[in-house]
Amino acid sequence: MTTTPPWLYYLFATLMLAVAAYDIVLLLLSGARRRLSGWDVEISHVFMGMSMSGMFVAQWAFGRNAMWELIFAVLLIWFLVRSIQSVQEFGLHVPHWMIHAVMNFAMLLMYWYPIGSSSSGSMSMSVSSPSTAARVDPGLAFLLASTVLASAVFTLASPNKGATHHGTHFRVYAMTGVAGSEPSDSNLGEGPGSGGDVDRVVAAPWLEDMSHIVMCVAMGFMLILML
Amino acid sequence: MTVAEVTERAPARGARRSVSTAIAQPRDLQRTFRLVLATVWLLDAVLQIQPFMFTRGSNGFSGMLNASAQGNPRWIAHTITWNVSIIYHHPVLTNTPFALIQFLIGFGIVGKRTTKPALALSIVWALAVWWFGEGAGGIFHGAATPFGGGPGGVLFYAVLAVLLWPSEGSNTPFVATRTVGVSTARAIWAGMWAVLALLSVVGAGRSPQALRDLVAGLNNGSQPGWLAHIDRSAESLFLHHGATTAILLAVVCLIVALGVFLPPQITQATLVLAIVVFAIIWVAVQNFGGILAGGATDPNSGPLVILLALIYWPPTITRATSSAIASESAVLATDA
Repeated sequence: MTTTPPWLYYLFATLMLAVAAYDIVLLLLSGARRRLSGWDVEISHVFMGMSMSGMFVAQWAFGRNAMWELIFAVLLIWFLVRSIQSVQEFGLHVPHWMIHAVMNFAMLLMYWYPIGSSSSGSMSMSVSSPSTAARVDPGLAFLLASTVLASAVFTLASPNKGATHHGTHFRVYAMTGVAGSEPSDSNLGEGPGSGGDVDRVVAAPWLEDMSHIVMCVAMGFMLILML
Repeated sequence: MTVAEVTERAPARGARRSVSTAIAQPRDLQRTFRLVLATVWLLDAVLQIQPFMFTRGSNGFSGMLNASAQGNPRWIAHTITWNVSIIYHHPVLTNTPFALIQFLIGFGIVGKRTTKPALALSIVWALAVWWFGEGAGGIFHGAATPFGGGPGGVLFYAVLAVLLWPSEGSNTPFVATRTVGVSTARAIWAGMWAVLALLSVVGAGRSPQALRDLVAGLNNGSQPGWLAHIDRSAESLFLHHGATTAILLAVVCLIVALGVFLPPQITQATLVLAIVVFAIIWVAVQNFGGILAGGATDPNSGPLVILLALIYWPPTITRATSSAIASESAVLATDA
């Protein structure tokens, strides 16, 4: 008897592919509009979406694990470097790239510590039985899951729509939390809304945030499954 | 502090553009705490869709609920087993809406228009889970000890929903007073901690063996090594000094209960005491609600008690806040 509902995993896998496809479109738009920000987050979401869809549904997985590990390691380093640069430039604060670094780190953990196969047979990432496979420290998985779920909630609540992709790095805000007049790194005039109707619809800041929220919930679930 | 981007209309082109003028606004602490509560609900929702939750039998959700019926008076146990039988026969059909409700609550609390319905739903849901899922927290058969989450971890969700109900007003003397007023907020706090103090020393709460078994029962072999090590220390402490520890906890609870009636500095000290004690209990006794062992539906009472303590924290007006408010006033005056 299949007790774990396979549809749940197909649902998450489909959502992950939808996020990946959406971010591919965003990337294309970014290229066409020569937008300078957000492309790194979009690339990260594309890879995470494709990778996690294969984790939720084994048949949809492709590529060697080593390839994915390399991709997420590079992305992790990229976002860490951007975070450090942001702190150096704006002073002590939590850069918006940090959550993307955390998410890429979580992706690496998912490859380093594969999840045991569930009874549904839907889950992949299992090359060995759960009893013999190395297991990530549950405390770390729980911490990461809580972090990405908090990111989902606070992104949804944020008045700065699109900040998950483009950041909100006002110099004065970053340094003191007080009003400033410096442009954000989304570059005014180049951000969503400056292009045509397609741009306005597809690159709507709330839609960008939604892709991040969906990614966070799926990742939180995957991390909980690692416990 | 938060940054609010001001969107203004460019007179020449008539196009809306986001300018980088930012106004510093005092953080809405009540909303921030609601978002933390929403995060916990979202975590619960994700825990609710773990594979075993959809599994029939003693290893599944129905088996877990069935255990909560044990020891309860017959009329309570009967309602729980009735609920269990439905879930047993339809684990997917029942657990799916259970999870959806928690997703709705978690995301609903975030939306400004949906906050109140979501909080109202959370109160109803919390009471239902307290009864059917936690067996009324074990208070009817003397098994409710604050060490184990008594009088029921989920009840704290309901208390938080009431205290964080959206309302305008001042955060002084603390955020919890904003909705219900100073007297009621203090009464709720004192009442809650008095109950915790009472439960610490009645029934199984002061039994060394019961307390030791409480910790041992959580260790199903799936705990990480470091947590199992902490568990062994906690088991040993309870076995040898269980009654003393229980009395000590009761004294702490009474001190914390009185704390909100004292000057702010003393209130802060008692809140730190409450936070530290419940952080230790959450890790060493509640084992993060059993989440790390992979078979839990919520993080138990530890983080919720800590969140409650934070909403009773007397805020301090810092220079930064004062200057931000002054800055905001200046900007608004200029705009006007």
